[in-house]
Amino acid sequence: MSNIRNFCIIAHIDHGKSTLADRLLQMTGTISEREMQEQVLDDMDLERERGITIKSHAIKLDYKHPNGDEYVFNLIDTPGHVDFAYEVSRALKACEGAILVVDATQGIEAQTISNLYQAIEQDLEIIPVLNKIDLPSSDPENVGQQIIDLIGCEREDILIVSGKTGEGVPELLEAIVERVPSPKQITDAPLKALIFDSVFNTYRGSVAYVRVMEGVLKKGDLFKFMANKEQYNAEEIGYLRMDYQPTKELKAGDVGYVIGSVKSLSHVRVGDTITTVKNAADKAIPGYQEAKPMVFSGIFPTNAEEFEDLRTALEKLQLNDASLSYEPETSKALGFGFRAGFLGLLHMEIVQERLDREFNIDIITTVPNVQYEVKLESGETIEVDNPSQMPEVGDIDAIYEPYIKASMITPAEFIGPIMKLCQERRGVYVNQHFMQNNRVEITYELPMAEVVFDFYDKLKSGTRGYASLDYEFIEFRKGDLVRLDILLNAEPVDALSSITHRDKAYYQGRKVCAKLKELIPRQQFEVAVQAAIGSRIIARDSVRALRKDVTAKCYGGDISRKRKLLEKQKEGKKRMKQVGSVEIPQEAFLAVLSMDDEDRK
Amino acid sequence: MSGIYIHIPFCKQACSYCDFYFVTRHHQKQAFVDALVEEIRSYKNLEISSESVSSVYFGGGTPSLLSAQQFEQILNALEDVFPLQLKELTIEMNPDDVRPDYLNELKSIGVNRASMGVQSFDENLLAFMHRAHNRSEALRSLEYLSAAGFDTFTVDLIYGNPGQSLEVLNQDIDTLLSFEPPHVSAYSLTVEPQTRLGKQVDLGRIIPPEDDQVAIHFETVVNRLGKAGIQQYEVSNYAKPGHEAVHNSAYWSHVNYLGLGPAAHSFLWDADRNQAQRWSNKPSLKDYLESPSHQKIEVEILTLPALAEERLMLGLRTKQGVGFAELENRYHFSLSDKQKLYLKEKQNLGLVEPQNDRISLTTDGLKIADSIILDLITSA
Repeated sequence: MSNIRNFCIIAHIDHGKSTLADRLLQMTGTISEREMQEQVLDDMDLERERGITIKSHAIKLDYKHPNGDEYVFNLIDTPGHVDFAYEVSRALKACEGAILVVDATQGIEAQTISNLYQAIEQDLEIIPVLNKIDLPSSDPENVGQQIIDLIGCEREDILIVSGKTGEGVPELLEAIVERVPSPKQITDAPLKALIFDSVFNTYRGSVAYVRVMEGVLKKGDLFKFMANKEQYNAEEIGYLRMDYQPTKELKAGDVGYVIGSVKSLSHVRVGDTITTVKNAADKAIPGYQEAKPMVFSGIFPTNAEEFEDLRTALEKLQLNDASLSYEPETSKALGFGFRAGFLGLLHMEIVQERLDREFNIDIITTVPNVQYEVKLESGETIEVDNPSQMPEVGDIDAIYEPYIKASMITPAEFIGPIMKLCQERRGVYVNQHFMQNNRVEITYELPMAEVVFDFYDKLKSGTRGYASLDYEFIEFRKGDLVRLDILLNAEPVDALSSITHRDKAYYQGRKVCAKLKELIPRQQFEVAVQAAIGSRIIARDSVRALRKDVTAKCYGGDISRKRKLLEKQKEGKKRMKQVGSVEIPQEAFLAVLSMDDEDRK
Repeated sequence: MSGIYIHIPFCKQACSYCDFYFVTRHHQKQAFVDALVEEIRSYKNLEISSESVSSVYFGGGTPSLLSAQQFEQILNALEDVFPLQLKELTIEMNPDDVRPDYLNELKSIGVNRASMGVQSFDENLLAFMHRAHNRSEALRSLEYLSAAGFDTFTVDLIYGNPGQSLEVLNQDIDTLLSFEPPHVSAYSLTVEPQTRLGKQVDLGRIIPPEDDQVAIHFETVVNRLGKAGIQQYEVSNYAKPGHEAVHNSAYWSHVNYLGLGPAAHSFLWDADRNQAQRWSNKPSLKDYLESPSHQKIEVEILTLPALAEERLMLGLRTKQGVGFAELENRYHFSLSDKQKLYLKEKQNLGLVEPQNDRISLTTDGLKIADSIILDLITSA
């Protein structure tokens, strides 16, 4: 019997996964009290701040059972957001067990269920854990019943834990030994190692995090990635401790890292299989997918001189984030920039924030949109991920848009608001399913485009934060879609174009015009703001000309103040974009996104 | 030195819109005058005091809270330290302080220009501004002033107040014009953050009027004063020919000036005229009384390019504008092609005067001078 246990933790954001993980590290002596920094595994600043895991992490723990036996635990921490569902599935594949962490004060959320089902499908042993039992508002009785209903376990199978105080953690460690099966150690088969994550190290190149499923990988072995056939030497292999711990070989059941001077992260793809060139496996581990961007947005430097810096920054980000894709884009309004593809909205926000924080580049992003399939009159079908590239109306036979299946879990009292929201977003009702505790799972099919805007925020605000969302792509469907253009003083602003359903175009056109009127500062001349479909103007508004803009007093002491103000205005002006003779502030490019602000008030 | 500004930091009460430095500890007036004399004397025999002085301006605060004797004491000290060749000696006054004998005393010690802080003749507006005077005091002060026989005088007016109708403004202008002022400073109300007004606006208790409304007030002031022969020569300043302010105009053309008293600002070119310095005295009467000649703070060094920009910023606020020759000679600055093109465009729109030797804004241009100046500077 092997003494290895490979497991992950499945939990919703905020349910205390990272805190519990920290406690496991501490109680197994993997890190000392001194090294303890809260949420050790979330090592990006952004992850710590948002309290979410963006990348998968893994760490090897040594555990000494009270009976004296010693075990090796590999804890694989998984991303906790619907944008990263594929990464989660690969991390699960690397495990034999999963700790299902549910916040005893909140109950199970949609995403947890979807990840849990994936884990069950992959035959993982589930250890249900009720967390945060130290809080007075915890309700272990009812939340426990939810778990029982969901996975069909016995009440006594559920562990009661507080990641915060450490209560129940020793019992959890014992349960991992007893319940999680040890991996099958088929060492005499050809090598099959699953890549569940990869990171880029400036000095070492790409580092693949792997779970060896079958066979043995020895240091110095010539290996290949089965998806792209690229070959490398295993220059260094080892275990994942707080640092890399080199070793001579990784055997079936082991979790570790492989360094092979792989220059580009694009060769190291999550879900791919590594095998040795000699005695190669004939089949890869099933389930590999190429990362497919779902959401697209233009990214432009505020200052045109920073275009090259932006390119470098994106290249660097991509090294650590293979799911980010981008290509150069030129906008008449915004100049040179990039069209980037993201897994989802959160992924997009993260990339934007990292550009700002880690690379200090001021960027303007355009309204996110999905990718459309456009069937042309000529019979040809093209993919369009940028509204300004939508062909002329006359050339289009039909436009197809991506649909998702969205499942939302909510207390029953919010069914109404959720249905209303989904109807407004052109949703197609599928079903609803009542769960324990007066909770309901509602399923809708929705155009992805309707979800990328502000669906999640609306869902949260409409349910006082209770509802959770999970979704998956289903198919492309034909839609009555049009391109809505925005013109300023009769000049179209390409970066403000959007694709929308025909029925919503008028409403949206009016809203965008009103929003722009609010956002565009008054200039020395009147600015006409118009929305158009093709050559037909469907909404108009105007920004009146400036009538008074002059400081009243400018004597001795006022002069330095006026100068400082002028310096500030000069900076502000640099951040404006000139379209024709009209100056547009950056926020205007997201006008379509925030146009529902008034509704929220 | 061409100008000396002296800040008299005493007021009876805080006006709601004002963020100038002042105190209400009137028992310190004589101590302040003594300290001021000490500060003046600290400049004796320095290079800075070798240049002749053509204007002295007492501002505040409320200078009219000092007695004529105290002014005399200050002027004697100035006379002792600086070569005074005064064209203009101005004292700012509040209507409630003015009596005929006081004005006569001031006149006899050499004051030739009075600046009366009337702001409005409307009781409601005066109350809103939290001024110390009322309508009748305002009227009376101007009667006294007309009779006093100063070479010239000026009256301050504030328009664009919340709730102020055009009718009330026109009444203020009517009343003002009946005194035939040779000079008027008319300011649109500015909401400064560190004032009672600023706080009330922040709290939403007062809503400042729309710019469009203020623009109409502005136009009314320009037109009506202009018809009375009091021509706009700067954004907020109007004068009959020959009555333009000497001291204030010096600020706009980078003439050296020295500021004395707490919170006063100074500007001084280096001897080689390749850069200039600006500084201020600390806004603290307490510190000033302890050590009047060691209050210099916020020293700024201004390079020629920065000065050129500033000269444009200040000069374009005046009807006279800025001459190309001056820009070249004093600042080694000339307009870029893009800037010339910009001005040409604005000329076609009637915002810039068509001239070959200088840039200046039209009356319409002055209304949006900040925007034009920013555009011009950033289109380099």
